[in-house]
Amino acid sequence: MRLSDAWMIFVFLAFAMYIVLDGYDLGIGVLTLFERDDRRRREMHELVAWVWDGNESWLVLVALTLWAGVPLVTGVALPALYLVLIPMLWSLIARGVSLELIEQHSGWPRLWGALFGIGSLLAAFCQGAAFGGLIAGLPAHAGTFAGGPFTFLHHGYAVLTGFTAVALYVVAGCAWLYMKTDGDLQVRAARIGIAAVVALGAGTAASWLLATSAGPVVLHPGAGSRLGVWIVGAVVLAAGVSLALGSFAAKVRAEWLPAIATLVIYAGGLLLAGGLLYPTLVPPHVTVHTASSPHSSLLFLIIGVGIFIPIILIYQTYGYIVFRGKVGGTREATSA
Amino acid sequence: MSQDTLLDLSRWQWALTAAMHITFPAVTVGTSVFLVVCYAMYMRTDDDVWLRMFRFWRRIFGIGFALGVVSGIVLTFEFGLNWGRFAHDVGPIIGVIIAMEVVSAFFLEAGFLGLLVYGEGRISKRMMMFSTCMVSLGTTLSVTWILVANSWMQTPAGYKRVHGQFQPVNWVHVIFNPSFGIRFVHMFIGVLIAASWFIAGISAWYFLKNRHLPIARRGISIALGVLAVVLPLQGYIGDNVAGYVQKYKPAEYQAMEGNWDSHNTGYNLLVIPNQGAAKNIWQVTVPWLGSAVNKDYSGHTPFPGLKRTPKNLRPMMIPTFYGFHVMWFAYVLMLSFAIVGLILRLTGRLYNTRSFHKLLVGVVPIGIIAIWGGWVVAETGRQPWIVYGKLLTAQAVSPLKPAAVLTSLIAFMLIYLTLLGTYVWYVARVVRQGPEEGPVTEPAIEPVRGPVPSFVPSPEGGAA
Repeated sequence: MRLSDAWMIFVFLAFAMYIVLDGYDLGIGVLTLFERDDRRRREMHELVAWVWDGNESWLVLVALTLWAGVPLVTGVALPALYLVLIPMLWSLIARGVSLELIEQHSGWPRLWGALFGIGSLLAAFCQGAAFGGLIAGLPAHAGTFAGGPFTFLHHGYAVLTGFTAVALYVVAGCAWLYMKTDGDLQVRAARIGIAAVVALGAGTAASWLLATSAGPVVLHPGAGSRLGVWIVGAVVLAAGVSLALGSFAAKVRAEWLPAIATLVIYAGGLLLAGGLLYPTLVPPHVTVHTASSPHSSLLFLIIGVGIFIPIILIYQTYGYIVFRGKVGGTREATSA
Repeated sequence: MSQDTLLDLSRWQWALTAAMHITFPAVTVGTSVFLVVCYAMYMRTDDDVWLRMFRFWRRIFGIGFALGVVSGIVLTFEFGLNWGRFAHDVGPIIGVIIAMEVVSAFFLEAGFLGLLVYGEGRISKRMMMFSTCMVSLGTTLSVTWILVANSWMQTPAGYKRVHGQFQPVNWVHVIFNPSFGIRFVHMFIGVLIAASWFIAGISAWYFLKNRHLPIARRGISIALGVLAVVLPLQGYIGDNVAGYVQKYKPAEYQAMEGNWDSHNTGYNLLVIPNQGAAKNIWQVTVPWLGSAVNKDYSGHTPFPGLKRTPKNLRPMMIPTFYGFHVMWFAYVLMLSFAIVGLILRLTGRLYNTRSFHKLLVGVVPIGIIAIWGGWVVAETGRQPWIVYGKLLTAQAVSPLKPAAVLTSLIAFMLIYLTLLGTYVWYVARVVRQGPEEGPVTEPAIEPVRGPVPSFVPSPEGGAA
């Protein structure tokens, strides 16, 4: 295994950690838009408030693992995705700030509450659109992007993947709420969860079919030989979707089951995306090996980041242990 | 034309977003150290005044930290969004350094911040102390790595060029590049200074309002104590930074002292330069002092002028000169105020001199302004290079449509203006609410299914 392939493990890990962790908290943000009861919205806010910045750290790590390890990817893809990543940044700002300001109010402040919801929705959409724009291909020339400002849209393909990402994060948000709340909020999470899972299934299927059959994705020459990976990915994804659908519909006693189903969905989706692209990172031209940093950089990265990732996982897990259990105590009760 | 417009817009966007970002760490790094002191004193003495201080400053720290996180994410992406060519060319070095910042510092801060802010009632005092220390360590490490990266751009070392890309050859030389050590110390002391004025000013406001005096006394005493020690030190360090600039970046040194020809033995206080004609339209100069600054007290050593640098490689004099002088004049003021504070303390009048308290309230942002000035010198003085002497900024910019960058720049302006306004409003609100009235105790630890406690003294009239 080449060092550049080994580094891809870290890129993959950061990406997977990001969508799993921030996915549910963006999803909960979107769900506040559908909630009218202040007390329930506060509970949803509380689930996100202590954890969002830790979760967003993984997004920064995604950006940095790419920049440090495969700088050509950053040099090509980020300018190409300018008009979708810039609004994502605005959304993340709006969301982060409103999260902190909601904390300062009792009840549900209208402006900050709306910003939190809309920011979460737009951030999720932009991330999906950026991913769709990327896998559908971004032309590169002489180490930089060689297309126009709207190339990434690919006749609306990026819009489809944007909506699919929103559905995915909403499923994750519902699953998290189902596990961490009780009473009517839990019931509502299951009900919205069903609709979101259906939308996710449809969105993923459409994205996949468009990507592989009608174009716009230019498949790597070796990709066809990975039919096995595609089938496994599709089966895992279908299993996750069914499990989520079933457990939301049946309102299972095992409150952690929808969360497990979400993880299965993520695993299936990552297998499909990896099977479709690897070793291409920015279709059609940029691959892991053409974009890679030199040996001296990768070695430093693998040792340095390799030492810190387990430590990070330990203290992030510790945080989740400290804040385990359900939310929903009255906040004012403990105010000294 | 369009290429120049694109470059200018991209640079303005970077300048705006970077200046906004640095505002928050400028306060939070020092405040995190202050939080460590407060909680350590609380654990030692069991005096609830320390606990109330800890909780109060934690709220101000929390919002600054959140804004620092979101504005920092913006910068992370802008490296690629607006400077795609730079991202490709320096990724193997700068990308790696910032990746190390993220895993060693950024995660650490964010991971323990949740425990610091929401952990009371769920974690022990020792764990709270540990979390506070980890947040503080994270902010300090973050400053360290960022200064490694930026210093490498000022004085690149330990690399080879392969097809235009900078590739590391010796990591020790990359990290401990010639300007890193001194610039790190300079910046770290700078953020301690900025936070100290922030803490001193807010504490002084309570003296003026005659509220929360025990907390105000300790705040002002610690902050001015720190300032009395580190400000003189910063003078010495800053002089050494100027020494490195003189040695490694002569053009920046020529521009920041405001000279074109090389025969001025005086010291320029104000200049209005004409960059095209390479002369000053107007200047205010103190005779002899320039030679003295160059350690020649006979008055015969002139400053080198910017004409020594080829015309197309000259930095703009206005931002370089005024960035430096804003920092320098702010330093002189800060040093004078700190000396006044020291005299008042030694004569036992620190807690009851109202005019001095008013002054402290007025100069809350002075340390931040000095930091802005310093970064303006460092960044504009390095121009037209992005990696000094090796890669031109004009070659590093992403090939975007100027209209796209203009749109994002205008939106960032509006967003950041709102952000800054919100931050000031929020801090003012927290300060008006003030710390809790004593005595307070920590809640009993209820590890499982405990509600997440909140220590906001119930806003909006208490009923919630």
